[in-house]
Amino acid sequence: MKKSKLLILFLFLSASVFAQKYYTKTGTTEFRASVKAFEPVAAKNNSTSAILDSKTGNIAALLFINAFHFKVGLMQEHFNENYMDANKFPKATFRGKIETFNFSEILDVKEYPIKGILTVRGEKKEINTTGKFTKQGEKLKLEATFSVKPEDFNIKIPKIVSKKIAGTIHVTIDYEFIEKK
Amino acid sequence: MNLSRKSNIAFAVMSIIVITVFSVYKYSTKPPAEIEDRSVDFTGTSKALFRKVEENAALWQDKIVIISGEISSLDTKGFVLSQNIYCLLKDFSTLKTFTSKQNITLKGRVIGYDDLFEELKLDQCIIQKR
Repeated sequence: MKKSKLLILFLFLSASVFAQKYYTKTGTTEFRASVKAFEPVAAKNNSTSAILDSKTGNIAALLFINAFHFKVGLMQEHFNENYMDANKFPKATFRGKIETFNFSEILDVKEYPIKGILTVRGEKKEINTTGKFTKQGEKLKLEATFSVKPEDFNIKIPKIVSKKIAGTIHVTIDYEFIEKK
Repeated sequence: MNLSRKSNIAFAVMSIIVITVFSVYKYSTKPPAEIEDRSVDFTGTSKALFRKVEENAALWQDKIVIISGEISSLDTKGFVLSQNIYCLLKDFSTLKTFTSKQNITLKGRVIGYDDLFEELKLDQCIIQKR
């Protein structure tokens, strides 16, 4: 009994010692929901946090809704207050796994499927996408795109502006990971 | 009513319409307020701010603060103040001139508490004193 406990402890310790973590605190997450002939509906978040475990391929990301920057102040205000309810739901998170991820396999550029759960406004949505990984010296860059719909997260868009906001929202991520030492 | 009076009224009405349309357009397309122009909600040390946020994080979203503290570590776009406040700089071109253990004062916007890193996060930080 004691032995097995020790063994578990040892396994746990060795896993945590050898697990290599890569992280960023300043990842870029952008979305576009523009409709042609209307004012562009787009915003950029430059302060997305993300952690990637290069051994298991587990990935977690977090961003603050109020850190999305719009060109137009009024649009930013409406986004935070009316659509996203940023006071009540300040964060959006993603937890997932990079499938068949093998860090040592990435010599230059390699693509892997990413699967996980995106939580926005407390609503969960499964995301399936492909991540493009690029090794740049010490850094590991991840680029990916996916689409979501406002109704996935229970976001109600008033009829009067519904023509100006696209039904499908395109999300682009660009994270530059560095190794956690 | 003679012609010149009529045209004067027409001109006045037209001017009012043009000015109104222009100012509504100006207002509705105005970019978000810059950090430099926003009023400050808290001034103090980085440690005091962290304690305040711990009490009730929800109150501190999008609040403008001026804090002083010691730089614990730096990355390419910002630094960590007193171990637990990450400050993303508005202009990170000057970042190379900072060093660890340096004391600084900055103005920034609180965006929230980051559970992944267990840090309070600030963006748009501008240096006030170094």
